[in-house]
This record gives sequence, C-alpha cells and structure tokens, in this order.
Amino acid sequence: MAVSGSARGAVRADLDEIFRRDYELVVGVAARVLGSRDQAEDVAQDVFLSLGRSSVPAGEARGWLSVAAVHTALNLLRSGRRRTSREETAAVAADTLVSDVAEAVVTLEERSHVRAALARLPRKQAVALVLRHSGLSYAEVAAALDLSPGSVGTTVRRAESALRKELNRHASSH
Amino acid sequence: MRHPTEGVLRRLLDEPAGVADSDRQHVVGCPECLAGLAAMRADAALVEAAMATDGGADVDVAAAWQRLSTALAATGSGHAAAPRRAGRSRGLLRRPVVAAFAVAVVLTGAGTAAANDWFQIFATEQITPVSISTADLIALPDLSAYGDVVVTGDAEPHEVADAAAAAAETGLDVPEVTTLPQGVTGEPVYQVSGEVSATFTFSAERAAEAAAEAGETLPPVPPGLDGSQVRLNAGPGIALIWSSQAADVPALIVGRAVAPTAFSSGVPYETIRDYLLSLPGLPDDVAAQLRTFTADGSTLPLPVPADEVTTSPAEVDGLPATVLVSRDQTMAAVVWVDDGVVTAVAGALDADEVLSIAGDLR
Repeated sequence: MAVSGSARGAVRADLDEIFRRDYELVVGVAARVLGSRDQAEDVAQDVFLSLGRSSVPAGEARGWLSVAAVHTALNLLRSGRRRTSREETAAVAADTLVSDVAEAVVTLEERSHVRAALARLPRKQAVALVLRHSGLSYAEVAAALDLSPGSVGTTVRRAESALRKELNRHASSH
Repeated sequence: MRHPTEGVLRRLLDEPAGVADSDRQHVVGCPECLAGLAAMRADAALVEAAMATDGGADVDVAAAWQRLSTALAATGSGHAAAPRRAGRSRGLLRRPVVAAFAVAVVLTGAGTAAANDWFQIFATEQITPVSISTADLIALPDLSAYGDVVVTGDAEPHEVADAAAAAAETGLDVPEVTTLPQGVTGEPVYQVSGEVSATFTFSAERAAEAAAEAGETLPPVPPGLDGSQVRLNAGPGIALIWSSQAADVPALIVGRAVAPTAFSSGVPYETIRDYLLSLPGLPDDVAAQLRTFTADGSTLPLPVPADEVTTSPAEVDGLPATVLVSRDQTMAAVVWVDDGVVTAVAGALDADEVLSIAGDLR
C-alpha cells in the first residue's frame, strides 16, 4: 500500500487553528516594527499565507510566524513602501498607538528614529528584540532564532543599547 | 565571585526564574551589577515605549481569517476567490447553520435511487475534515427551528452472528483484517445498520422567527428556497468491533458503509448553500471551507472537533484518505472513500498502525 502526504500544494489542515491562536501575536509583532496597525495586518496576512503553504511543524509555528513577521515588516520599512510621514502621523493618531507611558517619554519623531535604527541593526538583534518585546519567552526566542538560551539576553541587550544610543544622538543634536 | 554576563542581567529583568540562584544572590549584593541592571532597565523601558503599540489587541480575527481564506482560494487550486463577507457577525444563528451540515455528516449515507425531482448535491468521492469546536457539536440545536426534519429508516445498529450474515444483510463486502495490531486479539463483534434518509424542508417563516429570537435579521430569502428540501441518504453499514479488556473504548473498529449522498429539490443546491453561507451566524472559516469543498460536489464535509483532534492527508491503496489523531495521541483513525463506499479504521492505536491495517484490508 502507499502511504504519503498530500501531493498537491494544499493548504495545511491546522492553519485555521494556528491562525486563531497566533494572529493577534503576529499583528502585534509587526506593529512594533511598523507602528501601524493596518500595515501590521497586511504583514500578518502575508506571513500566514506563507505558513498555509508550508509544512512547518505546528509546534514551531508560533516562533516561525513571529520571525517571519519581523523580517517582512523590516523589509517593508527598508523598501520605503511606507506611508508618507503625514499619513503616518494621521494613522498613529487614529490607531491611538501611543500609550500613556510612551507619550510621556517618547515623541513621534523619536519613534521614527527608533524604527530607522531598528532597520539598521543586525537582523538577528532586531528580530530578538522585537520578539522579546512582543512577549515571547527567552526559550521561544532562542528556539526561533537558533540561539542558545543564554545568548538571547546578550543579543536583546545589544539591540536595546544600540537603539538608546540612537535616541540619545538625535536628542543631543537638537 | 565574578559578575554575571550582561545577557544574564538582562534576563533577570524579564525572567528572574530563568537565572541561576547564585547569580541572583550575587547581583543583590553587588553595587556594580545593580547599577548595570538599572541602566538596562531604563534602556529596555525606553525601547519598549518607542515600540509601544496596541498591537494585536482587539483585532477582528474573524474578518482577517476571511481575508486570508479568500487569498488562499485565489492563489490555490483555481477556485474562484470567495467574495469577501461584510459585517462582524457571530450570533446564536451560527449553530443551526452548522447543524445543517453536521446532519449531513451524522446521517452520512447512500441513496441508491434519486427521484426525478431531486438534484444530486453530492455523491461522496472524498472526505474533507472541517474544524468545528466541540462545543458546537455538543450544542447542536433542533433543526426544526428552521423547517421540518423527517428521518426515515433505522440507523440503530444491531449485532449479527458473523461476516456472512453482515454481508447478506447489507450487500457490502465485509472488510477482513489480515493482521491484527499488537494487543488486539480474538474475534470481532459484527454490527450492521440499515439505510437512513433524512429530509429537511426549509421554512423561511420559521427561520425568520428563529433569527428574530436570536436578535438577528434573516437575509432576504432567494425565490423558491422557501419550502425546498434537502435529502440526505446514508447506509447501510457494517462495523467490526474488537473490544478492549481494559478500557471502555474498543481496541479496534473497522467500519464500512455506502457513502453518503445528498439531494435537493425545488432550487439548485448552490442556491441553498449560498444562502446558508450568507446567514450571519456561520463562522467565516467554516464558510470558506464549505465553499471550497463543495465546488465539485463530490466531497463530504467531516466536522472534527478541532480542539481534540488533528487531521492530516494520507493515502490508502492510492486513494486520498484523512487521518485523524486525538490530541492526547491515544486514538487514531483513517477514513477514505472508494467507489461510493466509505471505510474507516479506528482504535486506541497510532496513525501508522491504523494506516497499516487500512492498507492490508481485504
């Protein structure tokens, strides 16, 4: 007898379940990079579309999706296919992205500096940083990026340090 | 003692439990490390604030899923993209609609003759799993809220003496298991059930009342739908059951039945289906799946409780099959259709074992 997997490029059967479980997370991950909910949802669509055609094990889907979301969002940042700053300002206002705490310490301009700096970081640092701030555990970040759990803290720390310097540089140049 | 690395200090901020006790004890008593920790905390907070977002909070997951389903359909096997559904939905109406399809499964069966005024909806050639949460299956309401349901025939299984008696009563080839899996012994019990038919007559008036009770408005009923019928035929079927000494569940079941067929009268099936799909209660994901697998009219939806069972495609003797495995890995089943006859092998086994038995069936 023949036993084999599906021959045609079918959509994986557990996509629905994974989507319901992780969609919110993936949008959150992309939104941290892009600062726009709408764009983040576009990125999430792309990423889940890829997952649907893939055979990534279900247990690894969360990490895979998160990493893919950061890469896709960073690529979007770099490609310049972004809204003009005026549109972005409106979008930020509309999305009420700015929490009370953030409002106190970080201006809109600083946010855009951080995004630009994020896009310039080594990819691994940028991904580790965004994943960590999106709520993934050190173990999850380590598994997703093929890092040792011990080096996740170091990688995240380096990224944060680089971003803070970037912010300070802009602050002192004013 | 030497100072913990920066990476360890950083983790201390997020996951203190992930840091060794010795490192934690050191940091508490080390002004240098405490200063480093404070600087890290400030940087982390600054970056957190700079990247702050309401993120995925209160995203419309159902609408997003619908969008993805449409994209998958458009990029997939050539099916026309499903129209984008408007609105947010979710009401009490969802269950009856799901129930209409669940009935199609519960009463899976075969009809031999279709009367002239019945259009064939599907003759099963393939089975596709549809994920539905267990709650939906348990809470299936009475379809009579949406019309009349008449069931004829007797689906109640009864025991017969042996394979010859089962074959004589059902007209089916009785499956023969050549090699029993380890731990399964003895002779099976043979059960047979007869042919069953269920006819559902849609009532626009009743559906409108049910919708009103649920606080929803019934979408306009297409001309001719009111009073039209869907008939589902199932059976006859045979089951071979090997009992298990330990548990309540049988060790192995091999079942075979004439595969289900469905017919509609009055209006084309597409009209009924599209109307059901337009009802506000139908979950977007289920709707998308229904659209796809009814495209060629040969595939039977098999709702599986997504929170308890995972499904995957496989092949049995060159035919497409569906493998179902319980999440706790204690039960597995494989089901496939061959020339209008559906066969299933299930038991307290793993996927490889049920596939092996399936492939060796005679």
